[in-house]
Parts: sequence; structure tokens; C-alpha cells
Amino acid sequence: MGSEAIIVFFLAGVVLVTGANFLSNLISPKSDSDAKRAPYESGMTTIGPTWVQFKVGYYLFAILFLVFDVEIAFLVPWAVAYKGIGAIAFVEVLIFLFILGLGLLYAWKKGALKWK
Amino acid sequence: MERILFYILALIMIGFALASVMSRRMLRSVIYLLFVLCAVAGVYFMMDYNFLAAIQLTIYAGGIIVLIIFSVLLVHHIEMRMEIARPTRQLLTALACSLGLAAFLSVIYTYDFQVSGPGPGTEVSVIGAKLLDYGEGGFILPFEVISVLLLAAMVGAIVIAKGTKLSENKNEVK
Repeated sequence: MGSEAIIVFFLAGVVLVTGANFLSNLISPKSDSDAKRAPYESGMTTIGPTWVQFKVGYYLFAILFLVFDVEIAFLVPWAVAYKGIGAIAFVEVLIFLFILGLGLLYAWKKGALKWK
Repeated sequence: MERILFYILALIMIGFALASVMSRRMLRSVIYLLFVLCAVAGVYFMMDYNFLAAIQLTIYAGGIIVLIIFSVLLVHHIEMRMEIARPTRQLLTALACSLGLAAFLSVIYTYDFQVSGPGPGTEVSVIGAKLLDYGEGGFILPFEVISVLLLAAMVGAIVIAKGTKLSENKNEVK
């Protein structure tokens, strides 16, 4: 295995990033003022704290994404092995997708796919 | 060379795992955990488990971390830092952890591991063929049961997320 190449690549990455930061830090002109340190929100000062509680909708979408992410993880080996097995593999994956489709139907019916 | 690579990965894993546990800000802990999961994927690549490494990167480093970030952002007072535990509690925790580590290591070191012969291979095509095999030693039943598990996870998540919304609305009405 070309683990030497990986180590060289890793070291090159570290040297390039730190080198670029170090050089730009060395060369760039420095100025400091209060306005530079102010937090901004599209050019305006923020109203209230910047840490806000997110909506539940994000969480729901993340979990739906995760479920279908796992599904894809199982579909990839199926797709690779499909040619060697043939029609039975197709039926097997149809059952798999049908059961997951029920879940999608449930999410649809419950309005989980709507952004409120 | 392989050994150096392994130690680099182990160092990244241990360092960021410690940082994740010891950080007092929740969001930073999650990001440290992301680095740990990426390093685990690196170890999988070293062992030639390419498919498992890809899954580790897409599902753990991609999906799970996004999920944890969203659930952290759902917390009310996210800007708060974790409080430092009392010294007695710290001592007790350290004692319990070292006891657990001692038990773990003693089991690992006393067990007589046997070197097994080469397995059926870790290529994606081999995994897929095994997964769809309905004969002896095939994994078609787990493959179909996984879809039921995913369905249950999806329904459960929707019920929980929608349920909290409903109760919040009720509280507002009162």
C-alpha cells in the first residue's frame, strides 16, 4: 500500500496551510480598531444574542436525510452485485424499497416534508 | 511506514476524543467528534475496508454529525458552558473509568486470539453478493429487516418531533 504517499501528502498539506497562514501573517499590513472587532449581521449590528434556538424542522429533515443516507449505503453493494445475481436481486431490492417507501408515505401524510 | 500512519491516526483520534469530552462548549465537542470519526475512517482505509470507510465518512461524519449539530442547536441555552464537576465527583469518575479500563485491558490481554485465514474479501461486489444471497450463509433476511428498522426509526422520529410541537402549541393556548 502506498502509505508513504499518504504521509507525504499529509505533511505537504500541513506545510502548505501553515506556511500560507504564516506568510500572510508576516507580510500583511496590520491595523486594529473597535469597528473591526464588532460582530455584524449583513453590515448591521446584531439584535439580541447570536445564539438562537433552531426550529424543530431542521432536526426532522436531518433525521429523514440520515434514514435515506443509510438506505443508499445498502443500495450501493446491491447495485454492484446486481449483474451477477439477476432478477431475484431486483425483487429483493423492490421489497426493501417498498418498506422504506411506506415510511416516506407516512412522513408525507404526517406533513413532515412541509416546511413550516 | 504503515506503523507511522497508524500512530498519526491514533494520535488524532485520542487527542480529539479527549478534546471532545473535555470541551465545555457543546458545539465544539461535536466538531471534535467529527475529527475522531474521520480518523476512524482512516484506520478502516488502512485495513483495506474501503466500503466501510466510505460508509463511515458518509453516514457518521456526514449524517450523524449533522444530526447532532441540529439537536445541539435545538437546546435552549446553547451559549452556556458545562459546569466543572466537584472534586469528589471527579475523583469517583476517574476511579470508575480506570476500573473499566483495567477490566477491558485484562480481558484483551488474557484472551488467546487466533489468526484466522483470509476471509471472503471486502470488495463492494462481495459484500453485495453476500447481502443478497438467500442460500446458506446469506444475509438476505437481515437486509430486508434493515428496511423495517429504518421504517421504525423514521416513524419514531416523526412521532417524537411532531409530538413536541403539539404539546408546545397546547402550552401556548393555556
